[in-house]
Amino acid sequence: MLWSDAAAPVQRRLMRDGLVSFLHLLRRLLARRGAALSLAFLALVALVAAIADFLPLDPLTQSVADALMPPSAESWFGTDELGRDILARVVYGARTSLVTALGAVCIAALVGVPIGLVAGFYGDWRDSLLMRCIDVLLALPNILFAMALIAVLGRSQGAALIAVGIAGIPGFARIARAQVMARRQLDFVMAVRSFGGGPGYIMFRTLLPNIMSPLVVQAIVLASIAILLEAALAFLGVGVPPPTPSWGEMLRTGKSYLYEAPSYAVLPGLVLTLTILSLDTIGRALTALLDHDEAATPGETAGDRR
Amino acid sequence: MTGYALRRLAQMLPVLLIASFAIFAMVYAVPGGPVAVIAGENASPEEIAAAVQRYGLDRPMVVQYADWLGRAVTGDFGLSLHSRQSVVQLIGERLPATLQLALAAILVALAIGIPVAVASAVRPQSWLDRLLSGWSALALGVPTFWLGILLILLFAVELRWLPSASRYVPLWEAPLEALRSLALPAITLGVYVSGVLGRFLRASLIGEARADYVRTARAKGVPEKRIVGLHIMRNALLPFVTIVGLMMANFIGGAVVTEAVFTYPGLGRLLIQAISTRDYPLIQGCILVILVAYMLINLAVDLLYAWIDPRIEYR
Repeated sequence: MLWSDAAAPVQRRLMRDGLVSFLHLLRRLLARRGAALSLAFLALVALVAAIADFLPLDPLTQSVADALMPPSAESWFGTDELGRDILARVVYGARTSLVTALGAVCIAALVGVPIGLVAGFYGDWRDSLLMRCIDVLLALPNILFAMALIAVLGRSQGAALIAVGIAGIPGFARIARAQVMARRQLDFVMAVRSFGGGPGYIMFRTLLPNIMSPLVVQAIVLASIAILLEAALAFLGVGVPPPTPSWGEMLRTGKSYLYEAPSYAVLPGLVLTLTILSLDTIGRALTALLDHDEAATPGETAGDRR
Repeated sequence: MTGYALRRLAQMLPVLLIASFAIFAMVYAVPGGPVAVIAGENASPEEIAAAVQRYGLDRPMVVQYADWLGRAVTGDFGLSLHSRQSVVQLIGERLPATLQLALAAILVALAIGIPVAVASAVRPQSWLDRLLSGWSALALGVPTFWLGILLILLFAVELRWLPSASRYVPLWEAPLEALRSLALPAITLGVYVSGVLGRFLRASLIGEARADYVRTARAKGVPEKRIVGLHIMRNALLPFVTIVGLMMANFIGGAVVTEAVFTYPGLGRLLIQAISTRDYPLIQGCILVILVAYMLINLAVDLLYAWIDPRIEYR
């Protein structure tokens, strides 16, 4: 298409501007104490999970003689009912959590955003049909939906990931739809249309880059929900199957030993809670920053601001 | 308003149809299909033939669905594969327990959420507001199952005041025993919801405080206490009803994690058991009941809303 060739340099400049504004946003985010602390904690969790193989940690070796030991110099978080090091299992459990969150966010975005784009862009019977399906997804609490899906797929890491991902679809679909509806009549969209840009081009190359900010915030919010949901599924005994370490599974087992080893359930739960709170804090700080930007440039976005 | 209610009920039908078809189709998505579920994975050819015969599995799926739906509409969800009891009866035993927990949790949430929201909305951005907003964030972020474990450690293991596992005791039969059993799960669930309610009510209180009628009242010299307590509060509480209702609706099935922490015999745990034993008629029944309850509560909230706010008129 001729038009898209002509637009290529503009597109490149937009991407460079995107990177610059991302770094700018990151700097403003770090200026907030809570967000900076949260980011540091998440970076630590992600780093440790990434280099876990090179750390002197062994999440699988059992030693029944050392079962249910309290925290000590050798094992900082104590040992579990099979004598495995709890800290090592928390570190490897971070992998399970982060991989599930990442995969789930990708699934939810890849399915939910196009649904929202199409529904919001056309606004006709396609909108009604797609949104009714989203309503059905919403009517069932996340956790029940995920459990029902796992009942069908069988218990595995993949099933947990898919279940959590599908539970996140409505969030993306609704935000993308609301944002597109607020923008589809604006001048720049009309301009692309008058140049001969087709619906697909307008939706994915004109509108999508313009609604990226709220979608990124949604991705962070969903990551925190995904980690919570994965842990809840594991806690209920339908998440990632053992012996793969998972925070929720550790809480589930630790709950049986509250009298013998109270720290067993408390410490992994603390790491889980801090991770969720960190993602939450960053999500809220980003929302505040973006709202502030939008308020500063009136007229750019009409309509739905939630 | 009757017309509106009827129309809303009619609108529920397509959603329920899609959902019930999805729930029914679930069994067909299982590897091996419904035969594997009903006859068991290691069934002999004779057993499989018998199951196919008995359940009419050789008919087209749509016909079977219509058959299942026809019976479901009359309240017959079949028998549990596991216990051979009627699914309706099993669900009926759990529903009161779930409702009692949901009500108790809502009361806890209101008792925490309303004062928190009012105290922080009176002076937005003050130190108290920041502190209480932090509390709301904490209440929302802490996983209920971890909070439950902490509460068990404190009140059951350390202090030995309350039982660590909760039973269902009807409130009207043994009030004291019921409260002892309900306390920890209701607090666990209620703290989370207090975060939702607190944040929501704070925002709507601050929004109402900017309204013209508040300025008028101030200009007239109405005392500040009366402005907050009477004018702002009454208007901010209206949308609040919706949120409380939504939360109630969510509890019907969504309290499953809390129920698991305290081994409380609610509908959610029945569903977990059904899923872990692959008891498909029970899974289908539970999910459908949860779905219908969710929609009915939503409708009830909308109708209640019109009743308490005379400005709203449904046509």
